[in-house]
Amino acid sequence: MSELNDIDLRGLTAGNKRAWDQFVAAAAPLINAVVRRALSPYRLVEDDVMDAAQDVFVRLCASDFRLLKNYDSSRAGISTWLAVVARSAAIDHMRRRRQVADSLDDVPEAALAVEDRHSEKLKIPQGLLTDRQTLMLRLLYDEDRDVTEVAQLLKIDTQTVRSTHHKALLRLREHFRIDST
Amino acid sequence: MSTERPSMTDQELWRSLAMGGKAASDTVSDHDLAAWLEGRLAPAEAARVDAVLAANPEQRAAVLELSEILAIPLPAAPARLAVRAQALVGFEAERESASRSGGLLAFLFVPSLFAAGRRQALRAAAMATAGAIVAVSGFLMGGGLGDSYAHQKQITVVSSTDTPSELTYLFSDGNLI
Repeated sequence: MSELNDIDLRGLTAGNKRAWDQFVAAAAPLINAVVRRALSPYRLVEDDVMDAAQDVFVRLCASDFRLLKNYDSSRAGISTWLAVVARSAAIDHMRRRRQVADSLDDVPEAALAVEDRHSEKLKIPQGLLTDRQTLMLRLLYDEDRDVTEVAQLLKIDTQTVRSTHHKALLRLREHFRIDST
Repeated sequence: MSTERPSMTDQELWRSLAMGGKAASDTVSDHDLAAWLEGRLAPAEAARVDAVLAANPEQRAAVLELSEILAIPLPAAPARLAVRAQALVGFEAERESASRSGGLLAFLFVPSLFAAGRRQALRAAAMATAGAIVAVSGFLMGGGLGDSYAHQKQITVVSSTDTPSELTYLFSDGNLI
């Protein structure tokens, strides 16, 4: 992915064919991986996955390379930005496709899940937990991630994850007067 | 009346709770999400993204996937992906770019746009211009288009009346033998 950092983006967005070809060669593995992962719940055939990946490149060169011209290297590395763009494009591609032919079998089960509204849940008052604490608890319990994965995602060390997790649960227990088992 | 407090494991406690208040329906821009993934957002901006992610399972899934992919060596993409994508931008893009930057002279520089560096591009453009000047000068020194056409016509007339010597035996008295 270091090859992406070497691409002459200015030349590319000016229409340089060679720069575009080099960019495609460098970006294809990343875009391919991101699109495949994003669309894996939909169980598409290979041609459809390839179409979705091609659609990412179409977006990148559309409107005189508007997306690439708007990329700001001071905010994030190009690989990370490209991965985010590719994922968004893949999901949008899938949504447009589903508007054309909406088969129940094509929809992943998670999208069909209906929240159980019959069980009464205690509402967490706004402000009781910080956004970071809430996100961390979501990642640990809703997404079923371990401490190491959460630390890697949030760019913090594992001890900070454990500490934040502990403080958040203490607050919840104190507020709702629930003891630990 | 019992004053005993209920006890739950951490997971049970979390699952028994629901988020109160406004659900964050905000979306995060691609730049902000990328910056968040790299840990480059200012604290206030990072907190906003945290809130959106905490409230939005789809966006949470997105960052988890992306974080994993960006951390691992990637396999090569199928060759046809690169081939199809590269074909999206052709030489027309360069001609359009050249014409936007200024007319015939810019078009003469089109071949130079294939060169890797700016110095090579300038060198190629200079050679192309010099070649054009030499060609035009030589043409004019040779008499121009009028003389050239007259000479051509003369050659054509001469060649149409000449009978090749190897064929004369076929026409001994003007008729085909």
